[in-house]
Amino acid sequence: PQELPLEAEDHQHQEEGEEKEEPGPENAFEKSPFHLTAEDVYDMSYVVGRELLTIRSEPSRTAQLQFKIVRILEMLEALVNESNLTVEELKMERDNLKKEVEGLRKECPAGKAEQLSLGPDKMIIDLTDPNRPRFTLQELRDVLQERNQLKAQLLIAQEELQCCKSGLISQKEDQAGPVQKESTVCNPSGSSKTNEEKTIIKRLFFFKSGK
Amino acid sequence: KMKSSLMHLVPPVSRDRIISHFPKWYTPEACLQFKDHFHAQVRSACQQRNTGTVGLKISKVVVVGDLYVGKTSLINRFCKDSFDRDYKATIGVDFEIERFEIAGVPYNLQIWDTAGQEKFKCIASAYYRGAEVIITVFDLADIQTLDHTKQWLEDALRENEPGSSFIFLVGTKKDLVSGAACERTELDAIRFANEMQAEYWSVSAKTGENVKEFFSRVAALAFEQSMLKELEKSYGRMAQIGAGNLIRIEGNSLETPESNAQANCC
Repeated sequence: PQELPLEAEDHQHQEEGEEKEEPGPENAFEKSPFHLTAEDVYDMSYVVGRELLTIRSEPSRTAQLQFKIVRILEMLEALVNESNLTVEELKMERDNLKKEVEGLRKECPAGKAEQLSLGPDKMIIDLTDPNRPRFTLQELRDVLQERNQLKAQLLIAQEELQCCKSGLISQKEDQAGPVQKESTVCNPSGSSKTNEEKTIIKRLFFFKSGK
Repeated sequence: KMKSSLMHLVPPVSRDRIISHFPKWYTPEACLQFKDHFHAQVRSACQQRNTGTVGLKISKVVVVGDLYVGKTSLINRFCKDSFDRDYKATIGVDFEIERFEIAGVPYNLQIWDTAGQEKFKCIASAYYRGAEVIITVFDLADIQTLDHTKQWLEDALRENEPGSSFIFLVGTKKDLVSGAACERTELDAIRFANEMQAEYWSVSAKTGENVKEFFSRVAALAFEQSMLKELEKSYGRMAQIGAGNLIRIEGNSLETPESNAQANCC
């Protein structure tokens, strides 16, 4: 118990000897508990010891109090050290994770890294996707154009087929048939041709007039 | 360019494509014209077979509107009398040719069905040019699609001479909405139609309600318009040259139909 005051006196001497900018031991009490260091705890220990010196009237009680207080300070010291250790450990873990992430980024294919630097109007195409876009607008235009032409031809062919089916041709053939037979047998081919042409024009005129 | 030779056989126009009386509008609140008969000039020209170069006239119709409103279904109901429940997005554009006989004169509608998907807009819009009729379609059960019709129309009009196209606004899927809901939406649609200078129709491709009536109306209006334009042209030429028999010469050209046998698609 007697050593403590001496220690305290030393402390005070030291302090007086050093520059004024160093905060006094009382300062430790004003600090946030989360910013406490082990040094602060020693400062608090010194201050408490100095206070105890003033109640020397009952030495036996003071000693008891002194031991208890020292015990509390020891516990506090342990806690602070423990938490500082935890912080150190967490910092180390954070650094390790950082390294791990960087390593993974380097391992990834170049494409994914590029994605981050892609402009807003760019698109990534998965070349393994069988349904990926791969034809150009012009190609689609051309295909559509061709489809339209084919469809137009189909419509014409369908109409002609309908004519054939509805017997319009056979009706015509009934008329033209004998003439043609005649022509192949008797007439020169020239005259039968003009005959045929006439009937085609007639027929067209017939349809055009909407009958 | 697509050329179709008319040196081929054409079956007679089916009976339900023969239009002899001018088809009626859907609602007087939003209709392009109130007349119930063909223009006198057109009628007499048709009667005299004095249709000259109009003889085998094709008018271009483009159908635009949001995806899934039923543009293809509407066209398929009319042209093929079929309805497919399953949705299949149109790729780029498609077309149908529908043959009519109007006032005794053969007449074709070339109906261009466009994709509603945004990504096909750049392809489909190339087909807007030279449209005698623009049909903007929306879904009666999805009011948002009505809001978008103005944009569709604007895009289509950009490719055409101002005032050269008839505009129709069509609400589809009438079968999906109740009578009261339909009437409410129609009020909005009629307001839109008036702003767009369009004629309004409510239809159902599924049940076929009003589909034939609608396209008959489209065909008759487009036919009359193109006849008037042709007649105006030939009268203009006649006045210029002062040769009254020019039209008769054109009439004779009916016998060589290859000369005007170009289907002006694309």
